[in-house]
Amino acid sequence: MQHKQTSLKVLTWLVQSPLTYCCLRPILDLLNMREENPAYRIWVRFLLDVTRRAYARKQPVIWMSAFAPTEIAYGLRAVPFIPEIIASLVAYFGWSHRPIALADSHISTDLCSFYRCSLGLALEGFFPRPDLIISSSYLCDGANKLLHYFSQIYGCPHLMVDPPYRDGAAGRRYMVDQLKGLAGTTCKLLDLPLDEGYLSQVLTLSDEARAYMAKINRLRRSAPSPLPGSEGLSYLAGMNFYSLGSRWGVDFFRSLYRYLEKKVTRGQGYLPREKSRLLWLHHIRPYYRNEIFQILAERGVAVSFEEANYLYWPPLDPSRPWESLADKILSNVWAGPLERRIEAIGNMVEDYRIDGVVHFSHWGCRQSCGGAGVIGDWLKERGIPYIILPGDGADQDNYSPGQTRTRVEALVEMLE
Amino acid sequence: MAEMLSFKELLSDLKEEEPDVEERPIIGWTCTYLPLEILEAGGLRAYRILPEPSSETADAYLDPNFCPLIKTSLGTAIEGGYSFLSGIVMLNTCDGMRRLYDAWRYYCPPSFCFLLDLPRIINPSSSVYFRERLRELIEHIERHFGVRITHDGLAGAIEEANFTRSLLKRLLSLQGRGNPPLRHGDIIDIFAQGWRNPRRAFNKALGGFVAQLEAQPSTSPKRLKVMLTGSLLDGSPLIRLIEELDGDVVASDLCTGGRFLEGVVLSQDPLRSLSEAYLEKAPCARMYDTERRISYINQEVKRTGARGVIYFSLKFCDPYLYEAPAIEQALRQMGVPTLFIEGEYTGVFSGGSRTRVQAFLEMLERKCSISRPV
Repeated sequence: MQHKQTSLKVLTWLVQSPLTYCCLRPILDLLNMREENPAYRIWVRFLLDVTRRAYARKQPVIWMSAFAPTEIAYGLRAVPFIPEIIASLVAYFGWSHRPIALADSHISTDLCSFYRCSLGLALEGFFPRPDLIISSSYLCDGANKLLHYFSQIYGCPHLMVDPPYRDGAAGRRYMVDQLKGLAGTTCKLLDLPLDEGYLSQVLTLSDEARAYMAKINRLRRSAPSPLPGSEGLSYLAGMNFYSLGSRWGVDFFRSLYRYLEKKVTRGQGYLPREKSRLLWLHHIRPYYRNEIFQILAERGVAVSFEEANYLYWPPLDPSRPWESLADKILSNVWAGPLERRIEAIGNMVEDYRIDGVVHFSHWGCRQSCGGAGVIGDWLKERGIPYIILPGDGADQDNYSPGQTRTRVEALVEMLE
Repeated sequence: MAEMLSFKELLSDLKEEEPDVEERPIIGWTCTYLPLEILEAGGLRAYRILPEPSSETADAYLDPNFCPLIKTSLGTAIEGGYSFLSGIVMLNTCDGMRRLYDAWRYYCPPSFCFLLDLPRIINPSSSVYFRERLRELIEHIERHFGVRITHDGLAGAIEEANFTRSLLKRLLSLQGRGNPPLRHGDIIDIFAQGWRNPRRAFNKALGGFVAQLEAQPSTSPKRLKVMLTGSLLDGSPLIRLIEELDGDVVASDLCTGGRFLEGVVLSQDPLRSLSEAYLEKAPCARMYDTERRISYINQEVKRTGARGVIYFSLKFCDPYLYEAPAIEQALRQMGVPTLFIEGEYTGVFSGGSRTRVQAFLEMLERKCSISRPV
């Protein structure tokens, strides 16, 4: 028991020490030397850098929920920290069992496992202390409430972006007011200057990354599919959430674009022989070891695109940062009425010449899974094969290999 | 129970006096943040969507891990149980309600449907925004039903609704009167009548019932006072369970309880009055500020002398499930014991819940050194 506690203390110290991330960089660079996708290496370096800075505490640390605009944190020269992304990494390494078990003694097991994992990690003291927490309300009730609870645990302020349900002039005005208010309050709370010139530069970076994202998405229309959907749902979606507004984001998306461009020019797909093309719905996949993508690959089914990387917002105008950010938030297709998401799915089915669609129904996610039935009926009316794949993104205990295989194979048979 | 029957009798007699009300278009609603005054000022009848917990139809349409109230509501609608409605007005209360609105429109499209956008933040800017959304709702109602919602009509509807709220407050203050004594479970059942029946008839019946009770002495023995907080209950079974175990529910901070009993202060601009009053009413967990909810519960505990709080959440109800640990922790720091119960929308509580409530009441009793009546 004592030995375990000592190990935990050492582990916590290692996780919290900025030096750990400095040491890890050359080691991981060496391990990733054979990785042919340079963007992946940038993702690893980005994560090490942002985590090191969060623990170093030389800049204010702002925890954010996945859809809160990171441009605000970068624009205020703060370090963003997204607990959900860290939880998915923890699940990827197979370490999520312990924090989830710890969180389950505090909150219901029917809640999202990414949040439960984050709570467990926070309770064990692994996370960097936040100076401020910012969440957004338009997509997930859990984001707000859990981040508010974190603010209670850490005794720091929590601010919220509360986008309106509908787009339109009144909603846009309300959104712009909120963003200005949020930035103003953040500056006051953290004693930071509000430099709109710098914020414009950050938006320029965000927009530059966006332009590469658009090009990447166009390249991914090619057959055979150049990038595995499993990667689109991991580091690509991760950078989409975490890096926009930073130099890292531009480097990553440019690098991925160039890498995919070469593959497409050579006609090189990620599968040896692509027979059909799949669209993956929901922003996540199971991050722990699982068979889903392997079963699909063995049967020649490519996950060609995932809605997580659907580019929904218009180009940003750095000279009007607040209005641009408001437009970005208000154009989110997963917020508002379900018709917006369905229209986007229709576009993706057409653009990526999709043969079948899978909705990964992550346990505890109401906003996405609540629409899965209607989306399925809409797709079936158009003759597009569709399955709902129930599962859990971070909690391996909720993964049933047998049932999952049966469902995935049923979809493959429909496609064949 | 005798009072309850007499209230129902009073109500049914009064409804017969106003047959024209029965012919008005009926609008289904789901969330207590909707100012019903707007519907009523348009000559519409408001009907709360709180279905009987029987339908399982929606299991094929919504995810298994979904709020049971929402699934039952959709199932009932698909089965035609709400065919008498001329429309629905919902709010973006939570992820679940947004998806209910989507699925309802897809599987059984009503001739009139509107989603009222409710801010989570309370400040002057959100109040202005909410007022604009109320104006939008009015425009939609006027266009669809060919009615005019005037300033005077709104003011009148607010006054009528304020009268209901004042009567309900009086009713709550009469808990324990009568023989057998009026219990909180009876009061919650009367609240439910208010959401299904025309307001004027309800007010008249409630006025008569309250006057009758005011003439009677308190006959309730001293019991252990507890407060209920949480999402919503299907009727009064949990309250009756607590009462059966000799607890006395003295306040119910629930969507189906007394969460909005303060009157709307009528100003020159009735829409502004509604916007401010509804945003600032006793908060639901879907709002941003957990501290406001903690402060409200604390205030109610002090006002009523409750010795403990029972926190109830429907299964899969994210706002209440996520907020539970923060509320429990804050109440613990204030020295208020709390029991958390998670339940289905079935109106039935398991033996496990019964044992937990019993153990909680016994713990409170020991803590307070109150001897039970024999």
